[in-house]
Amino acid sequence: MKPMNTEKKRILVVDDEASITRLLKLNLEQTDDYVVRGENDAKAAVAAAEEFEPDLILLDVMMPDVDGGELASRFQANPKLSTVPIVFLTAAATKGEVYMRGGKVGGLPFLAKPVEISEVVACLKQQLGS
Amino acid sequence: MNTEVIAKSRKQADGATLESEQRYKRLLDSVTDYVYAVMVEDGRAVATVHGPGCEAVTGYTSDEFGTDQTLWYRMIREEDRREVLEQAERILRGEEPPPLEHRIVHKNGTERWIRNTTVPRKDAQGRLVAYDGLVYDITDRKQAEERLTRAHAELQANEEALKRTLEELKRANQQLKETQLELIQAARLESVGALAAGVAHEVKNPLQTILMGLDYLVPNCPSDNENIATVLTDMREAVTRANAIIRGLLQLSAQTDFEVKAEDLNASVRRALRLVNAQVIASKVTVVRKLDPHLPRVAVDRGKIEQVFINLLINALQAMSPGGVLTITTRTARVGENVAVGETASRHFNQGDRVVIAQVQDTGTGITPANLPKVFDPFFTTKAAGLGTGLGLSVVKKIVDLHGGAIDIQNAAPGGVVVTLVLKAGPEETLSSPKEVGYK
Repeated sequence: MKPMNTEKKRILVVDDEASITRLLKLNLEQTDDYVVRGENDAKAAVAAAEEFEPDLILLDVMMPDVDGGELASRFQANPKLSTVPIVFLTAAATKGEVYMRGGKVGGLPFLAKPVEISEVVACLKQQLGS
Repeated sequence: MNTEVIAKSRKQADGATLESEQRYKRLLDSVTDYVYAVMVEDGRAVATVHGPGCEAVTGYTSDEFGTDQTLWYRMIREEDRREVLEQAERILRGEEPPPLEHRIVHKNGTERWIRNTTVPRKDAQGRLVAYDGLVYDITDRKQAEERLTRAHAELQANEEALKRTLEELKRANQQLKETQLELIQAARLESVGALAAGVAHEVKNPLQTILMGLDYLVPNCPSDNENIATVLTDMREAVTRANAIIRGLLQLSAQTDFEVKAEDLNASVRRALRLVNAQVIASKVTVVRKLDPHLPRVAVDRGKIEQVFINLLINALQAMSPGGVLTITTRTARVGENVAVGETASRHFNQGDRVVIAQVQDTGTGITPANLPKVFDPFFTTKAAGLGTGLGLSVVKKIVDLHGGAIDIQNAAPGGVVVTLVLKAGPEETLSSPKEVGYK
């Protein structure tokens, strides 16, 4: 069941690097606008998402077990998660490529690592319409 | 003097003449060389006597010449007859022409060369009464001369062919050297690019951690400690620099997408100028655009070609002091007709190819001759630490190579640097009808 505090947006961050999920959580929650759950195990991410019921998923692309593209398909195929917006966070592309592709890959928005938290927040606000 | 005395004198004179002619005939007969005599009366040749030596040279006997008075003329090769007649006419006019070498046709049908030397014979009053001719067969000498001339001509032709071959070899050697240098440079770029692609992901994640760590620390550190603020700023700049290097290295690799479409190069120049506008204002330089409005479209990857212009513009801006002038020119040309694309570029295009040329020129200090060959090397930079990664021009070269174009960097005559970019023009079409010509 979704928690009562609906003012804060719920963000699920899936990245195999624990330092990145931890720092995203610290930075985003510091703004008081977000509740963040970090998940470093891509295979467990769908179950974690079902339980957490995120408003948006921040998803790393290159992960050892399941890549971000595949994981995005699994989220979209899940009736409970199919409407949750996904933003890719990737080290595989440059900012120039993000600009040239209109900020999207496979129809989904993406941010190129390394990215400053202000850019992440701007992207979240745009996607969540907040 | 009475009549009897006159008659006696004449008889004596005729006797003397007859005796002289007979003595001459005996002399003529005894000479083994080809000797002939032409009798002259009132400036006209009236008879010709050929000595027995004529047979060895012409195949015809004295008697045959005696019975056929025009045989000597018919025997001369048709092409040489005019010269022989001119020689005879000069003798009859009282001149002493030099020996004449000409061809005759031997009785057996073969061609022979002879040397004909004439000597006038005059009477006591100096009147020409005859002229003697001495003929040598010089066929062997002539043939030897001809062989020599042919051999000489062949030698000369061979020498010229050798010179040409040598020149071609020199050119080929020069091209080989340049190609080798290009290959070395390409291989160097390729290996750097491949390495970069491999490590980029691994480096970007730690950079992400540092950057977000800084994002977290900045608002949480004591604001009254200036040193901490400075350290955090330095760290953020270091991350930015490291990321710029990774980005440059990735651009050197073939790992990024390459999407070619027919594009307007002028539009790319304008977009690049907009993106560096802040630096233009900060540099206090004047930008002069000389963009050809009738420029044909060029098959390029828009993002990559804009990257080329951005890198070139930033280099130019950083090279100039306030007050400098940055000139960007675009134009169309045909290789070989109204443009010399330079030694390197000429290998990328054929004569008559329609090309688009873009030039970025600054009024900075230029590049030292020692540094010019190194400008495309990865990590080569003359900029102050932190101002450049040394990858800008390597990336430019890589992108131009990907497009099959050519790039040349030279010091400009008035000072500064001029970078010339040559790309093959797309098909003849107007700028208002973009069309995809490439592939992804």
